[in-house]
Amino acid sequence: MINAILDSAFLVTTPLLLTAIGGMLNRLGGLVNIGVEAMMLAGAYIALVVSSATHSWILASIAALSIGVVIAVPFSLVITRLGAHEIVAGIGFDVAVAGIIGFILKDYYKSSGILRLPDVVQLPRIIIPGLDNVPILGAIFSNKDPITWLAWLSVPLSAFVINRTRMGLRLRAAGAAPEAAVALGLRPLFIRDISTVVAGAMAGLAGAQLSIGIVGVFSVGISAGRGFIALAAFYFGRNRPGLTAAGALLFGLFDAIQINLQGRGIAPQLVQMLPYIVVIVVLTGLSITERRRRLMRGV
Amino acid sequence: MSDAAALSAAGAPRFNWIAAAGVIAPFVIALIVGALLLLASGRNPFEIYALMVTEGFGGMSRIAATLSAATPILMCAVATAISFRAGVFNVGVEGAFYVGGLAGAVVGFTFVALPSPVLIVTELAAGAAFGGALMTLPGFLRARLEVDEVVTTLMLNFIAINLTGFLVNTVFLAPRTGNSATPMIVQSGWLPRLAPSSTFNLGFVIALALLVAYHLWDRYAPLGFEARMTGINARFSRAVGIDVPALIMKVMILSGLVAGLAGSVHAAGLLHRFVAGFSPGYGFTGLAIALLGRNSAIGMLLGSILFGALASAGTTIQLFSDIPIELVDVLQGTVTVFATVRLTQLTLHRRGGRS
Repeated sequence: MINAILDSAFLVTTPLLLTAIGGMLNRLGGLVNIGVEAMMLAGAYIALVVSSATHSWILASIAALSIGVVIAVPFSLVITRLGAHEIVAGIGFDVAVAGIIGFILKDYYKSSGILRLPDVVQLPRIIIPGLDNVPILGAIFSNKDPITWLAWLSVPLSAFVINRTRMGLRLRAAGAAPEAAVALGLRPLFIRDISTVVAGAMAGLAGAQLSIGIVGVFSVGISAGRGFIALAAFYFGRNRPGLTAAGALLFGLFDAIQINLQGRGIAPQLVQMLPYIVVIVVLTGLSITERRRRLMRGV
Repeated sequence: MSDAAALSAAGAPRFNWIAAAGVIAPFVIALIVGALLLLASGRNPFEIYALMVTEGFGGMSRIAATLSAATPILMCAVATAISFRAGVFNVGVEGAFYVGGLAGAVVGFTFVALPSPVLIVTELAAGAAFGGALMTLPGFLRARLEVDEVVTTLMLNFIAINLTGFLVNTVFLAPRTGNSATPMIVQSGWLPRLAPSSTFNLGFVIALALLVAYHLWDRYAPLGFEARMTGINARFSRAVGIDVPALIMKVMILSGLVAGLAGSVHAAGLLHRFVAGFSPGYGFTGLAIALLGRNSAIGMLLGSILFGALASAGTTIQLFSDIPIELVDVLQGTVTVFATVRLTQLTLHRRGGRS
């Protein structure tokens, strides 16, 4: 039971984690991105189509990543160059992209819900010899797809970039002190756009793991608010990759427990509420400590 | 916050061409995006758009359907505008709409013995009360603890949707029916129909009355004035003695009351029960309308009628012309994307700064 829950927890964490790390980088650069939901959905769709057409999961993943970028560019420009409100534009993109994909599904594939395509090649699973049958560790590390490994790799990588590189410093400057960044000769809006593109690529790839990673089919509800749970994870993580990953894993674990306990008296809706409750609690806690600190300083 | 503040400042009576273009441009862009999609699917966009105009406004029964579809959108727009006026960016109207809808439906199938007018008023009051109660949480967090309301209200939507989804599948599940629906509201608890053989009901009149009340509140009520002042400059308001936290709390609750009322009107007027997926995003559509209408009563009325026409035309063209109703989502979503675009920025090339 525990092994089954852990195994599925790590699989369902992947899209949350990738999207949350991307969203975290985007937020560090000064943009709260809820358009990731749209980018994930489009990635899931394109991955299935390309996988069916080319029989290559690598090409499918690249295509998913690319469609994330294709959506991220106009999304970012509307916000950074035309002054649109990031949350409102995000909601708009989520509705419009879901609409376009739903339109294509009905009109082209004559399907109103689930899209099944022939010869879809799913993501391979990497079995680690010797570890596969070890309890707990085997469930965590073995039998996972490459995108899952990539998602976890992005955690130390993003931490390194943020904290140890010039690029990371510029990213943080663009988000936290754009005027200072301008004074240093940087282009904060451009940096912000780049961070949105990275978030889009990661969300698109996350979509590929959703469609060709686990099930091998696509449905319009496949992203099912995961972009918002990723948002919850990076608010939970407060710009720290490690903590963000912990948040994503926690929410993945909730999800896995709910999947494994379905029909045993635990209502899925109540479990699905948890990430959002956690965010409100975390934000409230942060605000209280911040106020207390200010009072201590006597400001 | 600054966005809502900037928008509440834009209420000057003089006609402003740039402002007008800012309202019209999102629709034009949306029509172009929709046209590209239609062209790609091998259809003539002009033909489809002409068909949509006919289906939205051609004849009394079509207009009735449009106004019926506009009702929840208009009420959600008013709910959003109330908070925007005070510079509070409440995106939680969707959640309050769900909560209010469930509360209204539960009253409507529980207290079946009440006389019709009493029952209807009780339903609506229950919806408003629960919507208002839901918004006290983000209101309190924002007013007293300075927790960003955009994120809390956004998250609260999903909590409300899941919570009502849980309740409608357990305690309030209708016996002997499929999943995820309450029993029907007793017929005496339905809002009266205003036109025979259509869904057009008293709800639209309630929405209009609400809009007028909002306009009067905004222009003449002390609270409306304080809200507007705080939206424009919160520090100034504090300096002249307005209790800003209390004001934020009040507008948040007021916004929730209206959103909850909208939900119960939708339950009592149109669906006659609560179902999972109660709202196809009325709260978010209302948000876009409030932004596009710049919180003005006339702007929101026009906007919601337009979006109502889209929704009602979308349903019939899917039925009769085989055009996926998702076209409506594409149009509405695109309008939403561009709803807050500031055209002045096209000329003033800004470098840096939070959006």
